Amino acid sequence: MQTRLEKTVFGLILLFCVVNAAVGWWMNNDLLTTASIAGTCYVLLRIAYNRRLAKRRGKVKSVTVKPAVAEREDNPSDPDNLIQRMLYQGRFALLLRAQVAGNMTAEQFDLAMEALGDGMSLVPDGEVVLGQLDDALDDGELEDEEIAAARGRKFSVQAFFLDRYPVTNRQYQEFVAAGGYEQMPLWDESALAAVLDFVDCTGTPGPRYWKNGLYELGEEDLPVVGISWYEASAYARWVGKRLPSDAEWVKAGAWPVPLSDNSRVQRKFPWGDTMDRSRTNLWGSGPEKIVPVDQFPLGVSVGGVHQLIGNVWEWTCGHFQSGTFQSGNHSVDELVISMPLKSIRGGAFDTYFDNQATCQFQSGENPLHRRHNIGFRCAVAVTDLALRRPEEELPEASAAPAEQAREAETPVAACALPEGQTEPEADSTSTTEASV
Amino acid sequence: MSSKSVIQPLESYRLSQYAVPIPCYICGTDNTYDCEFCTHCMAPMALAHQANSQKVAPSMIAVIGASGVGKTVYMGMLIDMLSRQTEDINLFVRGAFSITLQQNTVSALARNEFPKKTPNEPDRWNWVHCQIRGSLRRYPSELIMPDMAGEAVLEEVDHPHTYRVVRSFLEKCGGAMILIDSLKLQDGNRDQDYFTMKLASYLDELHDNGKKSWAKRPVALVFTKADQCDECMDNPTEYAKHHAAGLWQQCQQRFSRHKFFATGVAGACARRESMTEGHVNVPLRIEPRGITEPFTWLLGGM
Repeated sequence: MQTRLEKTVFGLILLFCVVNAAVGWWMNNDLLTTASIAGTCYVLLRIAYNRRLAKRRGKVKSVTVKPAVAEREDNPSDPDNLIQRMLYQGRFALLLRAQVAGNMTAEQFDLAMEALGDGMSLVPDGEVVLGQLDDALDDGELEDEEIAAARGRKFSVQAFFLDRYPVTNRQYQEFVAAGGYEQMPLWDESALAAVLDFVDCTGTPGPRYWKNGLYELGEEDLPVVGISWYEASAYARWVGKRLPSDAEWVKAGAWPVPLSDNSRVQRKFPWGDTMDRSRTNLWGSGPEKIVPVDQFPLGVSVGGVHQLIGNVWEWTCGHFQSGTFQSGNHSVDELVISMPLKSIRGGAFDTYFDNQATCQFQSGENPLHRRHNIGFRCAVAVTDLALRRPEEELPEASAAPAEQAREAETPVAACALPEGQTEPEADSTSTTEASV
Repeated sequence: MSSKSVIQPLESYRLSQYAVPIPCYICGTDNTYDCEFCTHCMAPMALAHQANSQKVAPSMIAVIGASGVGKTVYMGMLIDMLSRQTEDINLFVRGAFSITLQQNTVSALARNEFPKKTPNEPDRWNWVHCQIRGSLRRYPSELIMPDMAGEAVLEEVDHPHTYRVVRSFLEKCGGAMILIDSLKLQDGNRDQDYFTMKLASYLDELHDNGKKSWAKRPVALVFTKADQCDECMDNPTEYAKHHAAGLWQQCQQRFSRHKFFATGVAGACARRESMTEGHVNVPLRIEPRGITEPFTWLLGGM
């Protein structure tokens, strides 16, 4: 846009040129007349150009996105407003906590349940086998002898809900806008010193590739990347969930079905036992970049979980060193790792080999690193939610649900440990290892 | 008793083949037709046979760097990636011997291992002869790229004529990729910088003739293992200025056509101690980045 000074200057020059043209014409001075006319034309053209430029800039939308929460801060004390806001932010898991759910109206409870059903998939309890089992899984059936030969491990998993899609930029933006990076109770104590380093390109708290705490326009539905394990954990706590354990993640993708006491069917990929590159975003099968979370719908798992394989790796709450990685004939126990690595699974858009894009394959990454191809999704145990509204019912909505919703926002461990178990064998409360 | 005489045909065709020497494609030394390797420089004679049969003189690209910088992994991945993709540039290998490098590298990486160290003996190096086709290329072109041992290259640079195949090859090739370990530079290890400076000086002094001088040939300086060095991957030119100032200056002075690149193959690495091999790096996953860009740039400049 033109400033006032620019407009004044242009106006004065235009006036000067017009006056000179008139004087030149009156005095029959062709040179003066011509020069003045030329000057007038130049100034007019310049003004027209500046206006066109201003119009064009006005058409281009700002590349930043408005903070998502500001518009709804009209009446924060209104319980309905708070619950609506929490539903919009995807924090329905907090609303479905037992201490909160009983005090919501039926309509509010139904909305929360609907959000749960839309956003998360139920994975039933049962057994799952982890290990380098891809060769043994070629026929789809897995027997105890094959597990022992491949040094696999059985885990018993309690029923849980898993996000149907990886967390998107839009969802993560809610966390950033709500001041998630400043709420210290959400963060692991061991990472508090590093939180200050979790900034974007412009130095604002946020994922690595954002600017000014905002993502690029058009990238709302891309999985959020450039976030460390600690940021993923903090977000999970903020929405009332946690990161899935390795066993939970594999169970959701492989969907094991027991055939007998000693054998079960377990998938190599969420869609079956053979690689089908049209169902996933890997190297050579996609646009060589991250795509929105609803793309490649044919790669959905039996339980309705999308993009478990490909697009982005996903943080789990497991430790890489206690996993099942193998290098040739050498297990992960033989590796010398300078600092504890966290487990990532699923492969990404730049994963080159098919055998590194299976439900079983596990890699590791420094939990502080913020990679271009690592995202995450969240889980919550069934036992942590009230899936039925208690029979007691208040005659009308009161301020109690709002207060209890705020109380429920206390930090939940991103990956709580079973009683008596300590690091580094960190797995979720709903996972126990069974003997092979 | 009569003896039956048997007439043995004289295998004159073999004698005639011996009479016609086959010049080595790399050093030009005459060899007999059944030689597997050149008697002078130990380059495979299959290259000469293929060039003669196709009546096409292949171009040559040198991929050189210190020992352990990742030449074998880079070349193996490059060939495999170009063989699989159908856009821009496509690569077709010629001869079974050309597939060995690709096979060894990809097989090892698929097992979450790096390939074994390239031996110093030239007759055990893997040579690649391939045809390049692409949407931007009017005619297909032939290319030769050997996987030369870093220690052999360093030995030749320090003591010229120790490895004649290195010298002969570098004299004839039309472009070079010099690989540099970005992680060692990040750690403050200047050996990479010094080695590459030596290489640059050696190349520059190979030809005094202005027409064939290395100053006019394209040189791609490729930082390897940059997937674990974000600063390098984001801006390799700036990384070179700050971490390899000597190399930066050398390139400005000696090569009029050069460019810095950053590549990575393993997203993360760990280490394993072996009784026989000592310290062994282990890739935790394979996600190639920036592999084809230096090659594409180099081809465009040749």
